[in-house]
Order: sequence, then structure tokens, then C-alpha cells
Amino acid sequence: MAPELLPYQRIREDLFRPLSGISRNYAVATVIAFVVGIAGLMAWGYQLRRGMGVTGLQRPVFWGFYIVDFVFWIGISHAGTLISAILRLTSAAWRKPVTRAAEALTVFALMIGGMFPIIHLGRAWLFYWLIPYPNSRLLWPNFRSPLLWDLTAIVTYVIGSVIYLYLPLIPDMAQLAEHNTPWRRRLYRALSLGWTGSDREWHALERAMKLMACIILAVAVSVHTVVAWDFAMAVAPMWHSSIFGPYFVVGAIFSGIAALLIVMSALRKVLHLERYLTPYHFRNLSKLLLLMSLLWLYFTVAENLTVWYGNDPKEMAVFGARTRGPYAPYFWTMVVLNFVIPFILLGIRRLRAIRTATIAAVCVVVGMWLERFVIVVPTLANPRLPVSSSSYAPTWVEVSITAATFAAMMMLYMIFAKLFPIIAVWEFKPHPQEEN
Amino acid sequence: MYLIGEFREKESATDAIRELRAAGVAACNLDVFSDEPVELPRGVLDRPSRMSLISVLGAIAFGLAATAFVYWAQHDYKVVTGGMPLFSFWATGVITYEMTMLGAIVTTFVWFLWESGLARKRDCSAPVPKVDPGSICLRVRCGAEQAPQAAEVMRRTDAIHIERRGEV
Repeated sequence: MAPELLPYQRIREDLFRPLSGISRNYAVATVIAFVVGIAGLMAWGYQLRRGMGVTGLQRPVFWGFYIVDFVFWIGISHAGTLISAILRLTSAAWRKPVTRAAEALTVFALMIGGMFPIIHLGRAWLFYWLIPYPNSRLLWPNFRSPLLWDLTAIVTYVIGSVIYLYLPLIPDMAQLAEHNTPWRRRLYRALSLGWTGSDREWHALERAMKLMACIILAVAVSVHTVVAWDFAMAVAPMWHSSIFGPYFVVGAIFSGIAALLIVMSALRKVLHLERYLTPYHFRNLSKLLLLMSLLWLYFTVAENLTVWYGNDPKEMAVFGARTRGPYAPYFWTMVVLNFVIPFILLGIRRLRAIRTATIAAVCVVVGMWLERFVIVVPTLANPRLPVSSSSYAPTWVEVSITAATFAAMMMLYMIFAKLFPIIAVWEFKPHPQEEN
Repeated sequence: MYLIGEFREKESATDAIRELRAAGVAACNLDVFSDEPVELPRGVLDRPSRMSLISVLGAIAFGLAATAFVYWAQHDYKVVTGGMPLFSFWATGVITYEMTMLGAIVTTFVWFLWESGLARKRDCSAPVPKVDPGSICLRVRCGAEQAPQAAEVMRRTDAIHIERRGEV
């Protein structure tokens, strides 16, 4: 039976059930994530104590894994807002079981991504120098710097995403406050702000959600454009490109949808939500992923073909390093993972299923991480001054911190799924506007 | 005093509201409670909103404040710009844009809290009905002399349960 046809009481029970009890698998996954996370924290502690010399960063490659991770996680964060906001604004009925998982993914990915500029600073304890506040040095930050653009864009995006996640949670938390253990009751009661379900509250919520969807779309696009401009504003070979903004936005949406598919697949299995996260939802998201894969290919070809045709020696040095030189294995693996595999698995209708969609999504996430690497490192390794060419190899510190971010995402998601329903219960009923 | 009528159908609740409004009950004295959004036909129980306007005003205010602050800060501590202007809209446009959006976000959220009544002092004497899944409760605030007529309207429009509570 389709979930929309199930009695509301049953939907509530099904979706609130995962909040109670901890299974063995859940406990094992939490311990693994915790151990990997602690290892990453220890590596960061080591880096703070010994300095940035413990990383593989050296002249002229000053941006390595940390900036790759930063761009990658900010890209993943585009899953929630864009998917949720676009589907909400277009009143797509199939969005209902998907939106909250996507919105939570956004918030967590932003929290993780936002850490990397601080980790990359080296002297992380001085990060507050970026914040404009009256100080004894009579200094103000340089507002022309893309670093400060990043700060304002990410802060805006974090605040917007948290509010966008929180608003539709209020009615569910009000319901949860009625029956639960005392500490949970207190938590939900405080967070639901005394929601009663009156028409004034519903009207205000719907209006706010619509407005927030519009605003958050504009913010999401701007955030990744600003991240792209971190590179494009530098007159560096293969960075100084006018299509970098849209290229990054497309890549971000692409990786975001892939990450969402992985999360949905895991939640479906672990929380037994087979009835709610159906093949229909995976099919629709697979189509979106396929579309984004084609768009990504278009941008990648456009970006590389113009460089190749222009034949500028400085740009060709980077192009050669990417396609034939030391970074070629990463480049061609990226093409296979981001285009060839998804195109086969999702393009052929017979092959399109939950399992293949998940495999394609995993490929895309890995491929998009490689794409960030291929964009960041070869340009820095082949600067305009040929004498200073160099290479980059990450150390165990950078690898540990990178692994820890994936563990952190897993842990944050598992905690969230135990505290809040991963599917918006009140939204499951047909929306009045959709009825009309 | 308050009358609370419980309805199973949206149409019945709509009829009840229409008749009560025709009988002289003001919209501000009517509240509909449900565990899902109930969209009533236009003109039945409209709740005018200024959220969009407030959001735009908030965005403009934040954007202007941010631009003014950047302008002032750049002139307060002059960095060497090699003959370029100290302040340029092009170079600080991203800050202005993001702060404009932040203004829209913050004011939308604050206005949501205000308009929904979640951040306002509540009338503790007003009873909040417990809504069963799928049902709709209509709360009417009226004087003792109006109560029998209001109850009769609700009965006529298929209220399955009518309750009289509290004194105004």
C-alpha cells in the first residue's frame, strides 16, 4: 500500500519508531565512526602542536587535501536546500520523504566543510581575526578578500539552512512532546515553542517555508559561486575562468544528489523505511542524477576544450599534467566515475534500481572528490613561473582528518536520526495545495 | 467563554465558520486546530500576512547596514590600494549580497515566530483542544449570550462533539 493511503496513526508509529531503541548495527556503526573521528581529532591536535609542516603542503602547492575537502563538503551541502527548495516550490508530491534527509545533510555538510578553512589556517586559534570587531590593533578585515566572502557566504548559508531544517520540524516535535521519555519530552517541548496546531501557526509556517525556499535557493547558488571565485579570481592557469561559478554550482548539485541517494539508501535499510523510501523516489532522484551527470560533462568539456584550443603554454602545462601527466589517473578515473558509470547504470532503464542508483551515487561522490583534487592541485603544482613547479602528496595527518570528516557526517546523521523523525510526518498527508 | 467543536470533514468546518461569520463572530475570535495544514477556501477565514514585505524590508536594511559598515571600515583603516578606490561596490558586492540574504532569512524567521503567535505572550485562559489525528477543531470565543446560537450552528454543520470551556 502506498504510504499516502496508510492510516495516519500507522504513519506516525512507523516514522516515530526509529527514535527509540538502539540496534546492534547502530551501536557498532557509532563506535566505528567515533574511533575514526577521534583519530582525526588527534591528527589535528598533532598538526596544531607541530605546525603545518606535518602536512604535504609545500611551495608552491599551498592548497591540498584541506581545500579539496572544503570545496567537496560545501558541494555536498547543496543537496538539501536545492533539492528540497526546488521540489517544494514546484509542489512535487514525491519530495515528502526526501526533503528532511536532504535538509539535514546540508546542515551537517556545512558544519564539516566550514571547519576546513580553520584547519587550513594552521594557527586555528586565530580564526576570529576574520570577524570584524572593534579591536586594540585598530584593524578591520579586508572585505575585498575572497576569504571574507567565504566567511559571510557560509555563515549566511548555515543560518539559513538550520532555520530551513528547523521550521518543518516544529509540528513533528510538538507531536513527539506528547508521548515520550521525560528528557525527550522536555527537549521537544522546548524546541516546538508551544506549537498548538492552530490555523495561524500553520499559515505562518507555510508562508515562511515558501519564502525560505526562495531565499535559500539564491543563497545556495551564491555560496558555491563564491567558493568557485576563490579560485577564479586568481590569474592562475585553468582557474581564471568565467564559467567556474556555474561549473562549481552544477558540480555541487551533482555531488549533493549523489550523497542524498547514499544517505536515503542507508536510512531505508537501517531504519526499515522501505514502505516510505520506495523505488519510485530512487528512480526520480536517479533521473536527476543522470541529468546532472550530463550537465557536468558538458561543463567539463567546455572548460577543457577551450583551454586546449587556446594552446596557451601556461594553461597547457596544467592541462597536460591533468590529462597526460602525473594527475592523469585521477582525471580519467573522475571521468569514468562521474559520467561513464552513472550513464550506464542510470541511462539504461532496465538497470535502474535502488542498488544500481546507490552504486552510481557512490561513484559520483568519489568522482566529485577527485574532481576537486584535479582542479585544486595541478594548477598550483604548475604555476606561471615554471622553475617553481612541484608536486604534492598528502601525509597521514591530512588523510586522517579527511577520513574523520566522513565519520563525523555518519555520526551526526545517526544522532539526528535518533532524535528527530527523518521523514516529516505532518507533510505526509496530502498537501492542501496539491489537492487543489 | 469558549466553544470548541470537533469536525471530521473540512467542508463541515468551513460551513460552520461561514455561518458563524455571518452571525457576527469576528475572524479574530475563531481558531482552527488540526494536526496538518487545513487550507480553507479564500474569504472564509483569511489570515492576512505581511511576511513577504517584512522579509524584503529586512533584506534591504541588512544590505544597507552591511554596505555602510564596509564603507566605514575601509575608510577607518586605509589599506594601500595602489590608486584604486578604498571602497568599491564591485569588490564588496558579495558581502552586500550575502548580508542582504541574511537579513531576509532572519526577518522571515522572526516574523514567523511573531505572526504564528509562538513568540508572543499567550492568553492562558484560552483552551487548546487536543486534536485527534484527522479531525479539525474549531474554537469560538464568544459571550454567554452568543454561545447557544454558536453551538446550534456547529451542531447543524455536523460537529461530532461540542464542548463549552472557560470564561472570558
